[in-house]
Amino acid sequence: MTGTTTPSTPAQVRQVPAPRPDVEEMRSRIGVAVRGVEYDAAGDPILYVDPERNVEVLAHLKGSEGGSYDLLRDITGLDLGGGHPIYVVYDLWSTAEGRPLRVKAQLRADRPRLASACDLWRAANWLEREVYDMFGVTFQGHPDLRRILMPENYEEGYPLQKDFPLRGRFTRAEQTRRAMSMALDDVYSMEELVTAGSGGEDGLPELARRQMAQTPGVTARAAPSELAGAGAGRDDDIETRNMLINIGPQHPATHGVLRLVCELDGERIVGCTPHIGYLHSGFEKLSEYRTWNQVITLTDRMDYLAPMMFNVGYALAVEKLLDVEITPRCKVIRVICCELNRILSHLLWLGTTAIDIGAFTPFLYTYQERERIYNLHEAYTGARMTTSVTRIGGMMADVPPGWLDGVREFVETFPRTLAEVDALLTRNSIWIGRTQGIGVIGAEEAINYGLCGPNLRASGVPHDVRRDRPYLDYETYDFDVPIGELGDTYDRYLVRMEEMRQSIRILEQALERVPDGPINVADSRVILPPKSETMNSIDGMIAHFKLVMEGLKVPAGEVWYSIESSKGELGFYIVADGGPKPVRCRYRTPSFMNMAVLPRLVEGELLADMIAVNASIDIVLGEIDR
Amino acid sequence: MPSSEESSLSGGRGQVETEVPRSWIITRLDFLVNWARRNSLWPMPFGTACCAIEMMGSAASKYDIARFGMERMSFSPRQADCMIVAGRVAYKMAPVMRRVWDQMTQPKWCISMGACASTGGVFDTYTMVQGIDTIVPVDVYVPGCPPRPEGLIYALMMIQEKIKGESIADPRSREEDPEGAGQPQLSPEEVELIAGPFGNSTFQNRVSGLDSSSPLIRPGDRKEQRHK
Repeated sequence: MTGTTTPSTPAQVRQVPAPRPDVEEMRSRIGVAVRGVEYDAAGDPILYVDPERNVEVLAHLKGSEGGSYDLLRDITGLDLGGGHPIYVVYDLWSTAEGRPLRVKAQLRADRPRLASACDLWRAANWLEREVYDMFGVTFQGHPDLRRILMPENYEEGYPLQKDFPLRGRFTRAEQTRRAMSMALDDVYSMEELVTAGSGGEDGLPELARRQMAQTPGVTARAAPSELAGAGAGRDDDIETRNMLINIGPQHPATHGVLRLVCELDGERIVGCTPHIGYLHSGFEKLSEYRTWNQVITLTDRMDYLAPMMFNVGYALAVEKLLDVEITPRCKVIRVICCELNRILSHLLWLGTTAIDIGAFTPFLYTYQERERIYNLHEAYTGARMTTSVTRIGGMMADVPPGWLDGVREFVETFPRTLAEVDALLTRNSIWIGRTQGIGVIGAEEAINYGLCGPNLRASGVPHDVRRDRPYLDYETYDFDVPIGELGDTYDRYLVRMEEMRQSIRILEQALERVPDGPINVADSRVILPPKSETMNSIDGMIAHFKLVMEGLKVPAGEVWYSIESSKGELGFYIVADGGPKPVRCRYRTPSFMNMAVLPRLVEGELLADMIAVNASIDIVLGEIDR
Repeated sequence: MPSSEESSLSGGRGQVETEVPRSWIITRLDFLVNWARRNSLWPMPFGTACCAIEMMGSAASKYDIARFGMERMSFSPRQADCMIVAGRVAYKMAPVMRRVWDQMTQPKWCISMGACASTGGVFDTYTMVQGIDTIVPVDVYVPGCPPRPEGLIYALMMIQEKIKGESIADPRSREEDPEGAGQPQLSPEEVELIAGPFGNSTFQNRVSGLDSSSPLIRPGDRKEQRHK
């Protein structure tokens, strides 16, 4: 299917275009639980549902008779402030039909509550926790509703509610005092408390014991948990006890500030609970206080391994809201930026994963190549990492002379290095022994967990946004979407290696077709007119003045736009009210979804393999925690 | 051949040194200790965000901080000499950082790498520590977002310069501070002063006499914060 279906002038965005037959049919089937249908700026349908019956509708949509919207892409909140109700927004995707659907439930602002969708999708677990953490929406029936990004004893409120001040409710001194008086190991999840009780309470940290006493419904487990196979041949007289071990948040093998609490039976992992939020920076809140173009500088600090992809994705989303068509040259340059960054990110993943598994050499090889991409970044934008390369309606500037030749040289020489690393690892028996058959997840389960990107494809699901919902004319490029068979660590490795080769193919084609012409749209609503026009004509002067003084104005409306980032489907849910700043910027980041599957992947594996599995899902904490 | 005692009595100082066997070096103890310390600084990489990637870049082949005796990243704080806080630090992470710092043994140094670690950077939000100097003492601040690897290497060289001037007779380079463990580095008043909106920059402007750079200062914001 093509990306755009509803071209509309800004004023028409909120009006209903011709109702899509499939949506109408679905609506009639679901019945009264659907209160209305709308279409967003990209033409995607939004169902407004009865908050009392949200799970019923979602189950219907997910089920085979409804419409097979099997992939839960996102759950988020939306607070418009000023006494307006709070919305909870579900974003679904049908892998079979390749189309999205948004479901909105309207809640009362004073006591927002909703039934949990955890039984339908495992992916809902962390997403609902985040909505609870940020908006205070209580999900009834959620198995483990705790704060996820903020500290659990956070008392200032729910940060993404509109009346919550940007800098928090307490003074900086008070915030510092509270942070420093936090005991590092006083916060345990339900599973951890249950685990802790399994061997009697003596071995517990005191705070865990206290927390367990305070938590209703948590009782100590009677016997040490049985692991398949592990108990065979064990002498029953010997009493064994599982052990809780804490890894992180400051640990070299967690790829950032991630904390993993593992329950071990010997060296085997019985359970693992990731704790995140140690890098939560408030991107989504901060974006509401910045103008449309200022937000771009924030986006590259989210995924600093592939910054240009975030720049491009955000710009595309806002351009969709503005209904601006970027120039052909800009499209090709953006493709080049995206694919360069896919390689940049995969190379870091490759190097650090190799270190984690015990091979140091590939790190030095891959970093050498990364430096060459950084040089290209620097030649174009002046920055090595925080590029901020796009602007709404174009790029920060046209590429400098000779830059494309630099990219061409990289494209020609990089495959040699990649082949060397490939020769070092792919058939290396240690590498194979450490990765094959470790951390396996099948296709159906991967979809249920909401996995995305190379991790999902390694499990055999050929979902790639570049293919399924093309942007930047990706449908005109000739490239393959590699998929794995088993979904183990080795498959995830192979898929990423092949993706780098495919990126080189795309880059070759893009370099062939870079058209001449302007890089920015000639729309003075969006992009400053050229200096000569500003200085010489009154129209140019007025356009310049209005854009500088009033800022870019995005018409009221909303859009959920996604691109295929190096780590998976990167979604931008953006709501505008016609003003110079976004009302809501939701970044649905792929690593967040991928991270949530870790406990499932490492269950029953060895502790050392957990490091390999964690490395193989390619997380970046800046993007998980935002 | 005259004996060395005779020549040292009769001749000048230079003559003595030529007579000393070659395996001897005469130097000040401070110089020797400092020489050893500054050329084997083991960094404690406290990397959180973007800056951590540049820190990895400094350790990789192109920039190679091994040239300065710092390639041995010590992930155990007990064996580290110099904590490099690379990236933004959330309040949730602040006690972790303080504990890592407390676990390091004296003598120790701290580098605040990048705008976020030094001042909070662009993240003047509800969740970010506005400058790690509110939590731990900092020796060198590296500007940049993120700083280039050269910037980090320069900071490490500044630490080396600083070590050159230290003396083992100075108790401050040896004494542990168990009282201050787990406590913020600054008092609440000082935290308010430098961590308010644009706090670090206004404060630095004030001490450097640049009161006139007023667009950065928002008096209303600050007053409101003080009164709380």
